[in-house]
Amino acid sequence: MGYYDLDEILADGQKIPCRFTISVPGLGYLENNPGKPVIQNTKLDLPLWLAEILAICEIQSAQNDPNENPDQTTYFIELIQPDFYSSKIINAIKTNALKIDLHQLLPYFYKLSVKWGSMFNDTELMAIVQEMFKQRACAINDYSSDNNHLQLLNSEFGLQLDETERTLFRQCIESHRDLKNWLSS
Amino acid sequence: MKRAEVPLWLGLILKQQDRCNIVTPSWLSINFLKKAYQEEVTYTTRFFRMPWNWLEISKMILDKAPDDMTEPPHQIRALIQDLREVRLIKARRGLKELNESYMQLDNLSLMEINELRPMVVGVMDQLRKLQVGTNEDEEVSDEEAPLSYDI
Repeated sequence: MGYYDLDEILADGQKIPCRFTISVPGLGYLENNPGKPVIQNTKLDLPLWLAEILAICEIQSAQNDPNENPDQTTYFIELIQPDFYSSKIINAIKTNALKIDLHQLLPYFYKLSVKWGSMFNDTELMAIVQEMFKQRACAINDYSSDNNHLQLLNSEFGLQLDETERTLFRQCIESHRDLKNWLSS
Repeated sequence: MKRAEVPLWLGLILKQQDRCNIVTPSWLSINFLKKAYQEEVTYTTRFFRMPWNWLEISKMILDKAPDDMTEPPHQIRALIQDLREVRLIKARRGLKELNESYMQLDNLSLMEINELRPMVVGVMDQLRKLQVGTNEDEEVSDEEAPLSYDI
């Protein structure tokens, strides 16, 4: 995970849905409404790097109200379960992990899952994602021993892979090809 | 004719200069390879114990000294190929058991592990990242861990 890792940057720019818990003046341009405030409970898609910070930034009330419960802190926004973790998708993953077109769903699915997992500690979801990755990795390994080499990356199967899986796929293809070359040299 | 044990590289050079004949190792024979193949087919859950470098050594001897073999080299070559394939299929089936912490590779040889390494290491690394509770602090200490699966 390097600072200059392009995939990392692109994954961070992925938009995820959130809900504003307070009204913010002047932020209306985020929803094509320049000059107006963003009102409380507006739903907006924000890039992950921004949402991540806003969701954990505490708001300090200007006037110190002694009656206010000190344990209750407000944050700028609340994260909403994004579409790619909806029960529809999760069920599809559980049914047949190999048939999911991850690239269309979200090209950085695993990178986001890693971040999501560390933000929410969602053990159940991560177990499903792990199981899915495992199954797909086996399929990747099976496909990669075919002879067509790097053309495979643009086959129907290759185009359904998430970017992490594509990297893995390329490594597997190269490894099998190298051994084959060595054996026939 | 005197028998001596020398390193393989020296033997191959001397063979090239026609100064010696290479005595094929006992496992590089039709009988042994057939037996190994049988074992591979019979026991689906474990690998037959082959020498650590069997693919490399058999390739070198078959390439450089096929005339020293007592048995027809093309048959040996075919048997080696069969054995490699049956083991590869078995290893592939075993990959379904991958997890983020460890993997057992009993009796797999150097080249076979080598072929699977990019895949295995990549998958295990990703699974580890997906493990809940792996945060940035822990990852620093995990940086040293890959050494242990550097086989």
